[in-house]
Amino acid sequence: MEAIWLYQFRLIVIGDSTVGKSCLIRRFTEGRFPQVSDPTVGVDFFSRLVEIEPGKRIKLQIWDTAGQERFRSITRAYYRNSVGGLLLFDITNRRSFQNVHEWLEETKVHVQPYQIVFVLVGHKCDLDTQRQVTRHEAEKVAAGYGMKYIETSARDAINVEKAFTDLTREIYELVKRGEITIQEGWEGVKSGFVPNVVHSSEEVVKSDRRCLC
Amino acid sequence: MAAARRREAEWGGRPQPRWRPQEVGAGDRRRRRQLESSGLAWPSGGGVLGAPLRLPLPRPRLQPALQARAMAGDNSKQFWKRSAKLPGSIQPVYGAQHPPLDPRLTKNFIKERSKVNAVSLKNKKASSFHEFARNTSDAWDIGDDEDEDFSTSSFQTLNSKVALATAAQVLENHSKLRMKPERSQSTAADITANFKVIKSSSDAQLSRNSGDTCLRNPLHKQQSLPLRPIIPLVARISDQNASGAPPMTVREKTRLEKFRQLLSSHNTDLDELRKCSWPGVPREVRPVTWRLLSGYLPANTERRKMTLQRKREEYFGFIEQYYDSRNEEHHQDTYRQIHIDIPRTNPLIPLFQQPLVQEIFERILFIWAIRHPASGYVQGINDLVTPFFVVFLSEYVEEDVENFDVTNLSQDMLRSIEADSFWCMSKLLDGIQDNYTFAQPGIQKKVQALEELVSRIDEQVHNHFRRYEVEYLQFAFRWMNNLLMRELPLRCTIRLWDTYQSEPEGFSHFHLYVCAAFLIKWRKEILDEEDFQGLLMLLQNLPTIHWGNEEIGLLLAEAYRLKYMFADAPNHYRR
Repeated sequence: MEAIWLYQFRLIVIGDSTVGKSCLIRRFTEGRFPQVSDPTVGVDFFSRLVEIEPGKRIKLQIWDTAGQERFRSITRAYYRNSVGGLLLFDITNRRSFQNVHEWLEETKVHVQPYQIVFVLVGHKCDLDTQRQVTRHEAEKVAAGYGMKYIETSARDAINVEKAFTDLTREIYELVKRGEITIQEGWEGVKSGFVPNVVHSSEEVVKSDRRCLC
Repeated sequence: MAAARRREAEWGGRPQPRWRPQEVGAGDRRRRRQLESSGLAWPSGGGVLGAPLRLPLPRPRLQPALQARAMAGDNSKQFWKRSAKLPGSIQPVYGAQHPPLDPRLTKNFIKERSKVNAVSLKNKKASSFHEFARNTSDAWDIGDDEDEDFSTSSFQTLNSKVALATAAQVLENHSKLRMKPERSQSTAADITANFKVIKSSSDAQLSRNSGDTCLRNPLHKQQSLPLRPIIPLVARISDQNASGAPPMTVREKTRLEKFRQLLSSHNTDLDELRKCSWPGVPREVRPVTWRLLSGYLPANTERRKMTLQRKREEYFGFIEQYYDSRNEEHHQDTYRQIHIDIPRTNPLIPLFQQPLVQEIFERILFIWAIRHPASGYVQGINDLVTPFFVVFLSEYVEEDVENFDVTNLSQDMLRSIEADSFWCMSKLLDGIQDNYTFAQPGIQKKVQALEELVSRIDEQVHNHFRRYEVEYLQFAFRWMNNLLMRELPLRCTIRLWDTYQSEPEGFSHFHLYVCAAFLIKWRKEILDEEDFQGLLMLLQNLPTIHWGNEEIGLLLAEAYRLKYMFADAPNHYRR
């Protein structure tokens, strides 16, 4: 019964090469920091359930993208079907911060006519001594784009849960208020099982089947 | 993790087969155990991503011509028409050791052989396909031992032969069934071995998933499988015939002799060499064979030494001329990307953590990248240096290559390895450069072709993907971009490349059939998954850690069969 979920959100994680996208996702989905990680090629898929309110669960499908430019033609195909995104930069790498604007432009072009709710993530905040981007300026940039800003560390498990659940809550509120709607032919948000709703009873069966705990 | 450990327990302590090509080296096992017991707690503080790197993204370099080519419509129909021969025409099959064309034939042979083994196993039930496989010979042996005349012309007669053999076996089994229930049980286990492998690995998959997640939080339940990048890396390297292998069989000796003869003849017959290499090249002669097969070394023995010397000098000429430009404005993006990817290449194998080795990789990749501006350096290409480097290094190293300290080699040796790796990798990339040019048209085309092929050879799997909205690009992109290197242990890649280099257009065309065969290999697991997530998790983490020559042999046999069936008859099987 554990796995019943209200909605399924598709999220995408983007940002320069080696800012720590895969490690952040794996900390979130697997609960540990991978000490070795080969460069992501194309797109990798991850998934996890989060509980945003007692009894209310959201299934997250997370697409981890390759940072290298050449893969852009592949990765951009995933923007369109995402409702949320984590835009990462590395706080010890100024250049990855400067590229935030480019990343946003890039997604804007390819996500039409939909929208992605982004959160700006300053990653590797455990390396504070090597910081090249101040919290203040990052917050200013984020605010300029209407995004929230959060600093995380996959290695020390700082704010990893928070980054994903805050974003999930934000999207959930938008869905609740009807500002984001479920649409045919769009994978961003899907409805899951809601008690007393007949059409999704199939999901319950599925979920039960997969409950191995 | 639990599954990996279980698998290890499963492989350990079993009756030893005649030889154990697919065994993971002892070092591997030890390291794996260490990693597992420590919960993968690799020394902290030096994490790959923790390093303060400043990485710029390369600026987009639009190449209109290439883009136009990429957009230039669907060539998939053409794709199958590589061979100019008429549909249905008979192609030469490489030598007597070529795989039987119908997997059912293979299975029957295996049945027959496994019966013998089942007897020797006495009461022990074969608990998995791999144990079973280890107790039998590989696919090539089967053809050889069974019948000297097993060749192109005689595969027609094979059917009746197999039928007879199988019939006889069934009768025998029946009589055994009455007499000794216990023994017949183990025979049955062997016969269904093909299904067993599927079952056991999917079990492993499930329990790994649940075991990992249940420990922490029930909410984590439907998580990703964590082990893809980690486990295969550990066991990647040990080549099949590396140290610890039992003495060669007579057949292996004969094969090696045949290679030596070919290689030392005044003008090596390259066609013959390809035929011999298709079913795998003996370790001892692999370096020189690969140099020849890739077209780097001339067939004429007299010219070889000179060519090698000239090419090696030429490569180091490039280094002298260009390598300093790595920090210049127009090249620094390329160099930085290479520089941050190298430590992430085979991160768990000590060999590749040595500064000298990493410098070699950087030079090779940088020089290649700036000499090929249409593609430049693309992640994945770094993996492609590895097999060449390991094979050319093995020329100088008797022991386990993966732990070898390269400072033991002379400067000259290292330079030879580096230059040869560069040239052979260049030859390989020449054939697949469109995989890495703008918009990666080669990959897009091949993934499309894979989809078309699978829709024809296994409609059920194809429809299953469609039903759960799995797109081929979502899992097969990496298969093409990294030539399956992320999906297979390195030892398997090396074996695979023996064949790729013996096949015409091996890396560009035959690879597609290998991918199709690889996918279908997991059909049962695929059909068992009943949602998008389960399917992608499976496809991203296919359990091949224990794979060796035998699995690759069967995979190649199936790929060859597919190629044979479809290459010349693009419309024949169209639905």
